[in-house]
Amino acid sequence: MNPFNSFLYGSNEYIGRLYLIVSSLITFGLLTLYSISSEPLSLSSSFSRQIIFILFSLLIFFIIGRINIKTIHDNSTLIYIFSFLLCLIPFFLSPVENTYRWIDFGLFYIQPGEYLKCASIILIAKYLSNHQLEVKEGYVVIIPIIIALMSSLLVLNQPDLGTAVIIFAPVLPMLLWAGVNTFNLFLLIAPVITIIAAANNIIFNIWALIMFLIFLTFQGNFIKKITIYFANIFTGLLFPFFWNDFLNGYQRQRFLDFLNPDLDPMGSSYHIIQSITAIGSGGMFGKGWGQGSQTQLKFLPVQESDFILSVIAEEFGFFGISIIMILFFMLIKTLLDIAFKCSDYFSSLVIVGLTSILFSHIFVNSAMTIGLMPVKGLPTPFVSAGGSFMLLCFIILALVTNLSKN
Amino acid sequence: MLKIENKADIFHYRTLLFVLFFSISILLSRYFYLQVIDYERYSSKSQVNSIRAKATYAPRGLILDRNGVVLVENYPTYILTVTPYKLSDKDSQFKVISEITDISIEELKRRYKKYNQGRFLPTVIAKNLTFAEISQIEERRLELKGFQYKRFDERLYNDVLNDAHFLGYLRELDRESLPFLDKSQLYRAGELIGWQGVEKQYEKQLRYSKGVDYIEVDTFGREINRINENNIPAYPGNNLILSIDARLQQFSKNLLNDKKGVILVSDVDTGDILTMVSNPSYSLDIYRGETSDGDWDSLLKDENKPIINRTISGLYPPGSSFKLITAFNLVEDGLLDPEDSLMCTGSYTPPGSSNTFKCWKEDGHGLVDLNMAIAQSCNVYFYETVQLIKLAEWTNTAKTFGFNFKTDIDLPNELIGQIPDKEFFINTYGRWGWSERGVLLNLTLGQGDILVTPLQSLRYINHIASKGKTAKLKLNASKEIEYYEDINFSEQTWQRVVNGLYDVVNVDGGSGWRAKQESEVKLYGKTSTAENPHGEPHAWFNGFFDLNGKTYSLVVLVENGGGGGAVASPIAGKIVSFFTDLNIEMAEK
Repeated sequence: MNPFNSFLYGSNEYIGRLYLIVSSLITFGLLTLYSISSEPLSLSSSFSRQIIFILFSLLIFFIIGRINIKTIHDNSTLIYIFSFLLCLIPFFLSPVENTYRWIDFGLFYIQPGEYLKCASIILIAKYLSNHQLEVKEGYVVIIPIIIALMSSLLVLNQPDLGTAVIIFAPVLPMLLWAGVNTFNLFLLIAPVITIIAAANNIIFNIWALIMFLIFLTFQGNFIKKITIYFANIFTGLLFPFFWNDFLNGYQRQRFLDFLNPDLDPMGSSYHIIQSITAIGSGGMFGKGWGQGSQTQLKFLPVQESDFILSVIAEEFGFFGISIIMILFFMLIKTLLDIAFKCSDYFSSLVIVGLTSILFSHIFVNSAMTIGLMPVKGLPTPFVSAGGSFMLLCFIILALVTNLSKN
Repeated sequence: MLKIENKADIFHYRTLLFVLFFSISILLSRYFYLQVIDYERYSSKSQVNSIRAKATYAPRGLILDRNGVVLVENYPTYILTVTPYKLSDKDSQFKVISEITDISIEELKRRYKKYNQGRFLPTVIAKNLTFAEISQIEERRLELKGFQYKRFDERLYNDVLNDAHFLGYLRELDRESLPFLDKSQLYRAGELIGWQGVEKQYEKQLRYSKGVDYIEVDTFGREINRINENNIPAYPGNNLILSIDARLQQFSKNLLNDKKGVILVSDVDTGDILTMVSNPSYSLDIYRGETSDGDWDSLLKDENKPIINRTISGLYPPGSSFKLITAFNLVEDGLLDPEDSLMCTGSYTPPGSSNTFKCWKEDGHGLVDLNMAIAQSCNVYFYETVQLIKLAEWTNTAKTFGFNFKTDIDLPNELIGQIPDKEFFINTYGRWGWSERGVLLNLTLGQGDILVTPLQSLRYINHIASKGKTAKLKLNASKEIEYYEDINFSEQTWQRVVNGLYDVVNVDGGSGWRAKQESEVKLYGKTSTAENPHGEPHAWFNGFFDLNGKTYSLVVLVENGGGGGAVASPIAGKIVSFFTDLNIEMAEK
């Protein structure tokens, strides 16, 4: 095997499959961008820009591919601190669209929050793979959560609720992968569910009952269980204050619109309604490439990034969206396979974390287009237009390639 | 390499794989539900989303006189509109428009605000563009993005006959008035609507029916494509033929010249109004093009009140013509023999009173019967005879002739005047501040608290001319004839009064002798000289005549003109002569 092939395919055949899937997704994305650009060949069109982003991302991909994994492992704290500081920079610059998410490089923007996602995963993986750690013990969940929480709170202040949530997404799968007790994991997610359930009285009561049954089923210290149970209930009762004071106006509005999109058809739920209309009107086989009336007449907002799946659904129908979904499924499964087959524990954990990020993007974005989740402004991996995120996807790809060599 | 072995468990791998499978299944089933099961719903929704209806217009109906003379027609002008979202630099663009059209920037902005209908709809900011202005706008097209001129039909009025009062006018709709209009007519701000006169009364008939063009638009409402299916064409409004005779109207108006007053001529058999002059008037041209606020102000503040249509909104004491109300009461109820004579000495002192009421003829009329009392308008005769009648009966008779009610003429803003009854007097003067006998002395002369419109007076004379069965007055020649409630007096009663009216004009000593016709036409009439607090008395002449087997009636009122016999009668006489000549001319053709 020549060195180039060895770099591309790594030590196992899964990498080849991974590249095939990614190329298909990128092709699909480019086809769609071509369809929605009025002048696809002009330099300012999202299609041309996407090609430039991909070429640039490939360059970074090869560079990162050459970095030794041990270097990454040993310097994970440094990488994390560097990314963290990078996220602080926008606060000293003038706000872009009223937020401090972006660093303006003139030609393009960089969203440092994207890279903080990777950095915290690497740091958490390093901690969890420490051979002196006894993962069966409950306390191991504390450090990963502190790392995620720090990153998350910083991003939340930008403000970027979407990225803040995504930073948390890998924690649970990584802890599970590391072998943390299932009941402890449940204790972790219980407060989150409590907080969401607190928005509605009936749902909150049902959740309290389920929680009670789970606490009954699992073995453990009775006093501890009772304490945690009531701590949860108490959080839930406090939560209406959180809704009112903590979330920003637009975030609360988006959430409430999500709960009832027909209330305000021209407001923020306008996006959801237009997206669902575009998807539904696509039918089984779609309206044809470049023929989507919702898309072409610009009824569909931010169609090149947030709502690109709606464009695919409108122009290629359920048939097209099924292909995309199967590709996504295979992408994530291949990544999990790689993580499972990986000989090195640290690498395996990092891959699981990165996979979780890709998957949460896929899930939140798709769920958003079909009205299952509030609009979050999270793009779809390899398909949506956007330089910063495309670069992140290629960095993830490079890291996975690199790690899989172990 | 890192020396820590992968401890990943197959159970954990399967758990994550299950979560993955489960999540993707949820997403796919939702896509399936939207795209396959609910397809129809969203498919139709997406079509409605991108297709927008655009209104199209057609001309408004014309207004013609009874002989087909066009009184109001349409005149194509050019208007300037601005579509807010297309504007590149509002301030400098408005400055350019201001230079071209000579309209101040403030005024342009005021209109822009007043007629604004949203970011994507054109707003009218200037009218009556000249071709010079249009070509300048065309030259500077690049600077004036968002501005557009388009054809817009305005009303054009007959040069000679542009009487604002019954024709009325159109007004541009502003957003404030929109909610109060008929929804089915689909009005929009900036469109014209009939605001007065027959333009308002027959708005529905005259207004075009809007059409609809379906246009494919993008999310900003911009036109992408014209769809030629299912478009509904716009239809012009229907023409309105008025009962007015333009020549007679014109002649009558010239007779009044600069005098304030009213001339009404009607066809008694049909209720058609042939002439409706209210003087002073103002030219409808004021509604065309730009009228400065100063012009408007002087029109509104003019003490001669040219804005008011005196025929339906002017209130006057009727004067002696109301003596006939007393006469009808007397004869119909058999309260006295019309042949009996009374002595007029020039004044009358009611029994038990020290007040003396004078006849207009200070020497007295001598022996007077009903006929002569009507013909010479003797006050004393009616002072004495009205004492036989109860107030309630008298006011009832007046109301029978339509006073205190609308004539139901097809014009907006008609007033009903005032016929005072017992209740009115109690409310006004208190229970003991008046006496029935006393007020009747005033009422029988048509003085005091009585107020009538000239049109009510016309209806009154029509009732007499047709002996009770009278067609409703109307301006629309094609409107079906309707009748007022019949007045069922005996033939003898009608005849007695009509005889008196004949003598007014045709017998020596009659108060209306100046109206006497040289031709065969017999004119019946009653003069009135109505005292009023505003100066000279109002001069009235109410009359009717037969011509070629048809009956016509007329009312002449000269406000503060003096005596009815001296001022109103000659005018009435001239109108009847002119009308007679017109008919002979027509017959010869």
